[in-house]
This record gives sequence, C-alpha cells and structure tokens, in this order.
Amino acid sequence: MMGMDGNRRLFENEVVKPQDLSKTMGQFAHYFRPYWWLVLLTFVLIMVSTWTQIYAPKIVGQAVDCYLFDSQAYGAAASLMGGEDTVAQSNCWFAEEDGAAIQARVQADDSIAEADKASAVNNAKIAGIGTMVITLLGLYFLGAVLQGVSFFSMAYAGQSVLKDIRKDLFDQMKRLSLSYYSKNEAGDVMSRITNDTETIQQAFGFALLSVFSGIVLIIWVAYEMISANWGYALLSLSVAPIMLVATLYFSSQARKAFRVSRQEIGNVNADLQESLSGAREVQAFNREDENIMQFSESNAANRDANIRAAAFTSALNPALEALGFVAIGIVVVAGGYSVLGGVPLLGIGSVVSLGVVITFLAYVQQINRPISQIAVLWTNIQSAIAGGERIFGLLDVDIDIQDKADAIPLPTVQGEVSFENVWAEYEAGKPVLKGISFEAKQGQTVAIVGPTGAGKTSIINLLPRFWDVTDGSVKIDGYDVRDVTLDSLRSQIGIVLQDSFLFSDTVMNNIRYGRLSATDEEVIAAAKLVAAHDFIERLPDGYETILGERGSGLSQGQRQLISIARAALLDPRILILDEATSSVDTRTERIIQAAFEKLLTGRTSFVIAHRLSTIRNADLLMVLENGEIVERGTHDSLLEEKGVYYDLYMSQFRYQGDEEEASEPVAGD
Amino acid sequence: MQATMQRDKQIEQEQTKGNGLRRAIGYLGNQKRTAIYAYGALIVATLAQLAVPKLVQNMIDTITNGFTANTILDLPQAFQLGAATLLGQSIEELTVTQANSLNWLINGAIIIVIFAVVRGLFSFAQAYFAETTSQGVAYDFRNELFSKLQRLSFSYYDQNQTGQLMIRATDDVEKVRIFIAQGLILATQAFLLFILTLVILFWTNWQLTLVILPILPLALLLFMGFGNLARPLFGEIQRRLSRLNTVLQEALAGIKVVKAFNREQYEQQRFDERVDHFFEQQVKVQKVFSILFPTIFTLAQIGTAVILYFGGRQIVTGTLTIGQYQEFTLYLVYIFFPLGQLGFIISLMAQAQASAKRIFEIVDAKSDVENKPDAIELPVIEGRVVFDNVRFSYFESSDDVLTNIDFVAEPGETIALLGSTGSGKTTIINLVPRFYDVREGAVTIDGYDIRDVTLDSLRSQIGIVLQETNLFSGTIRDNIAFGRPDASIEEVEAAAKAAAAHDFIKGFPEGYDTPVGERGTTLSGGQKQRIAIARALLLDPKLLILDDSTSSVDLVTEYKIQKALDNLMEGRTSFVIAQRISTVVNADKIIVLDKGKIHAVGKHQELMETSHIYADIYNSQLVDDAEIDMEG
Repeated sequence: MMGMDGNRRLFENEVVKPQDLSKTMGQFAHYFRPYWWLVLLTFVLIMVSTWTQIYAPKIVGQAVDCYLFDSQAYGAAASLMGGEDTVAQSNCWFAEEDGAAIQARVQADDSIAEADKASAVNNAKIAGIGTMVITLLGLYFLGAVLQGVSFFSMAYAGQSVLKDIRKDLFDQMKRLSLSYYSKNEAGDVMSRITNDTETIQQAFGFALLSVFSGIVLIIWVAYEMISANWGYALLSLSVAPIMLVATLYFSSQARKAFRVSRQEIGNVNADLQESLSGAREVQAFNREDENIMQFSESNAANRDANIRAAAFTSALNPALEALGFVAIGIVVVAGGYSVLGGVPLLGIGSVVSLGVVITFLAYVQQINRPISQIAVLWTNIQSAIAGGERIFGLLDVDIDIQDKADAIPLPTVQGEVSFENVWAEYEAGKPVLKGISFEAKQGQTVAIVGPTGAGKTSIINLLPRFWDVTDGSVKIDGYDVRDVTLDSLRSQIGIVLQDSFLFSDTVMNNIRYGRLSATDEEVIAAAKLVAAHDFIERLPDGYETILGERGSGLSQGQRQLISIARAALLDPRILILDEATSSVDTRTERIIQAAFEKLLTGRTSFVIAHRLSTIRNADLLMVLENGEIVERGTHDSLLEEKGVYYDLYMSQFRYQGDEEEASEPVAGD
Repeated sequence: MQATMQRDKQIEQEQTKGNGLRRAIGYLGNQKRTAIYAYGALIVATLAQLAVPKLVQNMIDTITNGFTANTILDLPQAFQLGAATLLGQSIEELTVTQANSLNWLINGAIIIVIFAVVRGLFSFAQAYFAETTSQGVAYDFRNELFSKLQRLSFSYYDQNQTGQLMIRATDDVEKVRIFIAQGLILATQAFLLFILTLVILFWTNWQLTLVILPILPLALLLFMGFGNLARPLFGEIQRRLSRLNTVLQEALAGIKVVKAFNREQYEQQRFDERVDHFFEQQVKVQKVFSILFPTIFTLAQIGTAVILYFGGRQIVTGTLTIGQYQEFTLYLVYIFFPLGQLGFIISLMAQAQASAKRIFEIVDAKSDVENKPDAIELPVIEGRVVFDNVRFSYFESSDDVLTNIDFVAEPGETIALLGSTGSGKTTIINLVPRFYDVREGAVTIDGYDIRDVTLDSLRSQIGIVLQETNLFSGTIRDNIAFGRPDASIEEVEAAAKAAAAHDFIKGFPEGYDTPVGERGTTLSGGQKQRIAIARALLLDPKLLILDDSTSSVDLVTEYKIQKALDNLMEGRTSFVIAQRISTVVNADKIIVLDKGKIHAVGKHQELMETSHIYADIYNSQLVDDAEIDMEG
C-alpha cells in the first residue's frame, strides 16, 4: 500500500501525453532489442509467478472444501448414516479422498477400534491439510523466487537501456553544432538528458513491472473466477470498474489542484530568492516588515493551495479501501446466498461451494491493489513515453557539421587564412554575414570591432567550423575548412572565449585541457608565460586546488588568465580571442593585457577587440556593421578617414587612455 | 499538552544542540484544532478497520451454520436429531438458523458497507487534517525563517551562501512537514493497529497467536535491516547521479570550449565512465530489492500457511470455526502491515531530524547587529558624520580591514572615497547605516553613536545606492517606492525624473506599471542603476551613500546618470565611492585609502601635489568625463 506521500509525489508531476505513441514505442523497442532475452525471461517469470498467486488461494479453498467444512455438517451426517456418502457431489478435487470419504473408509475399517475411529478420522484430515500446507509453502517460495528474479531481470534490462540512452544522448549533445545551441537553450538539452531520463528511470523499474504483472494478474484472476463460476464472478468483480474510475477521477483532480500549488510554491520560492539575494537592500531601505507581510501572503496562498490539493489526495486511498470492503461484502453475501439457497447466481453457472467463497475472497483482495496501482502508475508510464519522445526527438536531430566522407587531415598549419565572399545564416533567409572577404597573412593580428549583433562572433565561429557558411568559403593555407577533418582543424586553433569557462577540477587539469598529453612542467610553463603562475601558487593547494562549479572561488581576471594559459599550452598557429568586456581591476587588467600580447606574437590571430591597445597594435582592423565589413585598415589610417570607425572610437575607446580601465564600451543600454 | 510543549520549546531554545525534531513537533501547538481532528479521526478509522475481520467472520459463520442446518434438516427424519445432538444443537435452533441465515447474511453485508463508509470517511479526515496540520506547521516555519533571514546582519550573509539558505527554507521545511504530516501519524496508526490487533488475536485464540508470534521479531529485524541497508545505497545512487550530471552540465555549459579544444572524446569517456558507475550502483540496489521484497512477502505468506495448518487442526477437532479462521487471516495482515511501515517511518524521521536541526540553526542564529534594549529613536538629522578612530574586521579573529579611521563629514559635504580594490572603501560606507558594527572606536551622526539608536530610525534617514542593483518582483513604481511604499505616483515620477529614468520608463508599454524582477522585464544595467537612484531620491535623505565603482552604460546614459547623481547629492551629506573624475574634482573632501588606513585627506588640487597614490589612481582608474559634459 502506498502512503499519502506516495500519492502526492505521483500527482505532483505534470503528466505530458505522448504525441506519436507507436513511433516512440518502436524507438524504445529498438533500445530493448539487445536485452530481448531479459525481457522474455521477465515475461515468462511473471506468467509463472502469477500462476503461483492464482493457485495458492485455490488450495486454501480446497482445504475448506475437502477437510474443514465437512467436519461439521457432513461429518455429523455421515457418521450417523453409517459411512454412506449422502452428499451428492463433492467439491474436493485436490485430495484423493475428502473428509467424507475418510469418514467412510475409517467407519468401514474394522481393524480400527470404534473408540479410536473419531481421532483416526481427524488425524487423516490433519495429515491431508499438512500436505496442502506444504504444497502452499512450496508455491509461496517458488513465487517469491520467481518474483525476485523477474524484478531483477526487468530492472537490469531497464537500467541497461537507460545507460545506453544516456550515452547516446551525450554523444549526440557533443556532436550538435553550435547553431543548434544558439537556437535551443542549453537548459532544455540538459533537462532532456537529466529529467526525461529520470522519468523513464522511474517508469522502467517498479512501475512497468507492477503494471505489467498487475495486468496479467487481473486478467488471470478474472479468468479463473469466471471459469469457476460465471455468475458469482460477475458479481464479485462488479466493484473493480468503479475502483478504476474512482482512481482516475481523484488523480486527475489532484493533478489539477497540484498545478495550482506548483505555481504558488513557485511564488514562495521567488520571494525567498529575491529577498535573500537582495537582503542587503531590504535592510538598507528598512523593508523588513513590509516584506515579511508580503511573504506571509504568498506563503498562506501556497498553504491553502496545498490543502485544497490534499482534499483529493487524501480521498483516494480511503475511497479505494471502502470500495474494497464493499467488494468483500458482495463476495460473502452473493456466495452465501448461493451456498444457502442452493441456487446458481444470476441464473448462470453452478451453485457456489464454501471453498469457492473463501477462494474468491482471496482473489478479490488480490486484485484490489493492482487495480488502483495500475491507474496511478499508468500516468507514470505515460510521462515516461512522453519523456522518451523528447529524448528521441533530440537524438533524431541531424548533425549539420561533421566530417565529409572524403575529409583529409589538415597538414600542419602555416597560418594563412582567407574568407572568400562568405555568407552565413542561422535562420533561413536571414543572413548574418553578407559577403565577407578578407585575408590574414601568417602571423598577422586581425581585430574586429563593431556594435553588438554586427556579426563579429559569427565570423570567428566559422574558422574552427562551429558552424558552416551558406555560400563562399573559409580557407586555411588554401584548404577549405569543410574539406578537412574537424579533429585536425580544431587541434590547430586556439580559442580564448569571452566567458572563461572552467571545469570543476584542479587548476592543473583545467590548463591541461588545452593539451591532455602535456606534462605538469609544460602546464606550469604555460601558466608562467601568461603570468598566471604567481596567483596559482598562492591558491590553497596551488595547481592542485579544485575549482568550484564554473571556476567559482576565482576572480573574473584569474579565470581569464587560466583560460589564456589553456590556449597557450596548445601553442596553436591560429588564435581566436574574444576579449572580455567585464571589468577587472587595473593591475589584473595589465597582467591580462601582457598575457594576450605574449600569446599573439607569431600567430595568426583574430580578436574581437574591446581594448584600445589591441586595436592599435592590429595589422588589420575591420569594422563590422550588419554583417558587412564597412571599413578596413589600421587604427591610424581609419582615424584619418573619419568614417564609421572614427565615430566609434570617439564614443567608445577614446577615454580608455593608455592604461584604460576596462569598462564596458561596446554593450549598449 | 500545550504547556509541556511550550516548556519543551523553551528548554530546547536554551540548548540549541538539543533534539530539533522534538522542537519541530512543538510547532503542532499552533495547529491544535486540526491536529486533534486528525488524531481523533485516526482512532475512529483504526477501530472501524479492526471491526471488519470480525464482520467477515460473522458472515462466513452464518453461511456455514446455515449450510449445516440445511444439510441436517435435509437428512431423513430419523437421523436429524442424532446429527443435531452431535453438533450440540436442537432441531428448533437449526430451524431458526435455516430460516434466518439469509437475512443475517444481508444484515451483515449492510453493516460491512456502513463500516466501510465510516472507515473511509474517517481515514479521509485523518489524511486531510494531517495534511492541513502539516501545511500549517510549514507555513509557520517558513514565516519564521523568512522574518529571521530578513533581519540577519550582513556578516551572516557574508558567511552563508544564498543557495544554501534557500534549500533550508524549501527542502528542509518540506522534509520536516512530511514527517509531521505522515511520519508522526503513521507511527501512531501503526502502533495502535499493531497493539490492538495483537490484543484481539490473543483474546480470540491465544494458541494460534502463539504460533505466529515467532515470525514477528523476524519480520521486524528484516524490515529494520532493509532500511539500514537501503539508505546508504540510495545515498550512493544520488551521489553518483550528481557526479554524472556535473560532467553533463559542464560539458553543456562549456560546449564551445569542449569543441574548441577537441575534447569530445575525452568528455564522452568521462561521461560514459560515470554512467557505468551509476549503472553498477543501480544494479546493486535492484539486487538488494529483488531479494528483500519477495522475502518480506513470503514471510507474511508463511504466516498464512502456518495458520492454515494449525487453524485447520483446530477446525477438525471442532475448537475453531471456518469464520474464525478467516477472521484470523485478515487480522494477520493488520499485524504485518505496521511492521512494514516501520522502515519508512524511521527514514522519514531521520531525514526530518537532520532538516529540523538545519532550520533551527537559522532560527537561532544571532544577528551581529541588533537594537540595543535601550535604543532610542534617532531624531531628524542634520548630517554631521564622525568616524572616531574606527577599527574594523569582519571576524573577531581575522585581520583588520580598517584601522585608525578618523574623519568628520560636515552637513551637506560630499566625501569621495578612493583607493584600490580591498583598501576598505566599501567597508567604510557599510559602517554608516550599521550594516556592520565597528570593533573599536565609534561612528556618530549628529553626536549620536549609531549603536545607541534604533536601526529603523537610522536607516530610514540614509539613502543608499549600492554597487549592484537588485530589483524586486513588482512594478517599476513598486521598486522606486521600495523605501516608502506609501509614496504617491507624483512623488515617484518626480524621483524618476530627477534620476533621468522617467523617459525610458515612459518608453515601456505599461510605463510605471511594467513588471520587473525575477518574473518581469529585464532591464539593462544602466536602467537598473537609475531606478536605484530614483529609489534613494524618493527617501529624500539627509545622508547619502553611493557606491559607483562599476558602471556599465553607454556614454549618453553615463552623462544622464551623472546629472542625476549631481541632483541627488545636492544639499546632502554624501559618501561616494567614485569612479568619475568630475565627482572627485567637485568633492569637498577626498579620502584616499590604502590597506585599510587613511593615506591622505584633502581636495583635488592639494592631493595631486601631495599624494602619489592619489595621482596614480587619478591617472589609471578614473573615467574622464570632462568632455562628455561639454557634449551634453
């Protein structure tokens, strides 16, 4: 039986119905194929263990019909009538001789003294019951073992499938191109891999097995009851559909109510979150009392919504239980009526024996639980199928950037880069780059400036093939980047991103991420090169300091230095730099600046520039607007032109001075 | 009961380490009415439940007796009396039985249905009121936590992460609630059912009861063992799952880095390893489950089989009826059921215990900054602020952040604070509204030591624009009126105009009623900052604190903000952590800080000549906005 909380958890989750059931089921089946024998085994085991569950109550019923019931009436009658079996028909089939037969045999056996006859009869009956009990224990034991094994084999198959799905999802996730991630939120992908697999996980274990074996049990029990006695079975099972309907009704109401309470708890959490993160302002503005009042309102709304939902969740189990009692009542009354009146029920089938009443009593109790369980768990399985649908949807996304069939490895790069009339778009019909052409000679620094959304990032993303051109080409040393393998291409390009992403790992491993084969010494040398060594040494465990999530615990500037060191370790011929716009203090700024300069020397570099010094030193300066290069030249030549760059410079870069504070010049308001 | 609870609560409060769970249960005191309903319903529901096997037994015996009567009365006349005598009944009795058994049966069925309804209603009431009670308790908990959190000092927030606090107010409260809603009432129910059933069993048939008695401790041991075995296994599953998710989350968030450095295979390997690791643990857990669950079921079934044998013996020898046997089997379920719940209850309790402890840690936390018992209201101030030889450190034991800070700000003066990161600028301005208390020395306003006045009266006279602006859920108007919720819309608009925010606010379709914050429109940094300025302006304070050290806005906005700030500072004593040259140049006093000490005090011209640190800062850190002024 499930506790109240069990219900609550089941109803709290939103049920999403699958769209295309057969397709999704087919895909699931595909994943189950390697484990088909486990599924088959489970099925067989469930059938056999259901048989034990069906057979056991029959034996109990037989104990009544063969030995227990006759001991009162038949026994009394038979002993008086001199052992003659007066009862027309015996209901006993399990044992060769029933109580009456024993009585007759003993009565007829002259070798037994008359005084001992009663106890001889009793002993024979008890021995008969003993045989039944031993059979029963054997059945229970067999059933338990089969249940255990089927539970395990199903779980094993389910977990294996999930393992495979998880791995495939990750594989797909890492191969999806950046244009996919620019259209879809990473959070969405994350939730598919975590939440949806979790939903499936829940369904594949207990729920699937319970529903499956529950259905088998219900059908079998119904079959047994019907074949034992038609009329009696119909009456006894009459409550089952009502139970089903009740479960469906209460759970759908509960779900509705919980939808409201989910919103309310969302409000409570938002209030909390806000006043926690804004705690300082709350106190600065003396808002404590006001906030407490407001919070207690949303808190109360949450409480009331939950209480409303509780009305439904609390009703389900009692209602089912009450219906269960009603079912018991019907079994006893209808059975008793037939036994006493000697009439078949509903005019069909045969007259009921007391043993059948006992058996039916057990049957009805046996199927009460699966009925309510299936109704509740069914929604679990529904959610799982919907989850599967989302997962397979992700797995089915075409990978738009992958190696060509005849891709060749890019030879060691010299560093000549050319863009030839490049057009590119994220969305069909909306080009982000419109005919970009330029050339970068070996060792040159190309600085790209322009307002947000001009296409700066789009240009540099084309080089390591994070996405592809729709027209024109990008070439390195004359090789079109689409003709070479991704591995060989990307391993020769170093990238420092604006948002320095660090992994929760040691500092050493974070730098080593640039080149896994690098020795500790090489890592340290790279750190020294970009002047990161000093602050790393000062960390609690030096290079072995484990960074928090996304490098928390380090300042922005320190994170940047580590990601620069990472690129330095790779020692690439081509370098891409997206200068950070966020502010760091002056000293760190100078260090980072110096690190950048070191990194740039001797490499062909592309820089999305926010720093005046970078721009001044660039060999080629390109001003981008709306996906087009509107001006190109050097800092000095462009200033003289007094064009777009001049305006941009006057409004954004000028006041940075030589040792500028890196305020945020580019982001608009 | 209430009194004891109150007393317990007090004792607990004195020794914070004590049993948090018992103290949490004390909160039931506020929900007395629903709690009594819940437990009252529980008793009725349990009694009704206990009656059902008895009723079933009556009905089955009615059937057997009726059938016996039928059989005997069907015998040839000559044998009837003998047979009846053998059973110890007279022919008349049998005739009565035969005539009435069908009616008795139907009566029995009606009674069962009535009991089922009563049982159903009361167990509904039990569940519903238990939930209501627990929601009430959770409500009280959340309110108490929230009020406490609102008043905890800045140093508390320095030491505790928002995420952690959030978890306490949500997850931990929920765990305690679930225990109070279910654990507690389930435990009571289980106990009641177990004891009463055992008594009934002994009373009706002690021989049979003795037969099943040895199984009970066995079952108990098994359940307890199961709980102990399962908990760490589940914990490990959670740990491995979160390790798996970490790789996933990082690979996703850093997908560009992964691709840029060609680390797809490496990440896949890492992920696969953890998936396998997780899988192994899952299989381990499933193995335990697939052994334990069937064992538990079998145990209960063995009980049934044993009862069939020994009960059968009694029936054969005539000391037990079939109805009584059936009744016994039903009661058997009642005995095993509570045992099965024990493990569940214990795990709920363990979780609630840990959660309650964490909740009370917050409730009992001492705020460093509190009103003195004899604190007085600070009268309307002129704005003369004196730092008198102030020393400050964040923790008693940590290094000093400020030493020997000694200066006077006359009413209406603008004080600019300058210095490198970590020099103590922010700390100084945090001391004025008493976000922290000084370790030594004193901060006085108009001669009042700020520790002697109430926090409300002090802070309501200080306007603050912090470095990072937090907006709150609500409209823009609500946010500007944050410090004075009663302000009229005219006042709000006036403040917004002075802060150069009116125009962009009007630009929104909903104007001042535009929702912002967690669930509203996202504003840019510059817009937020201007709303923060309007917010401070609306207070019309005599004392103003501005932390302006990072600005992330374009030039036009920058200029507007500058104008707004100039408006703001006029006629008020202002402390400014300044980034703009114009602010510094116009300041009445510039305080240059270095490593927590005052390095120099003076005006721009003097300092340019006397302080090299000032000259350095002036050249490298300040934003030259002189020419913007001209353009504007």
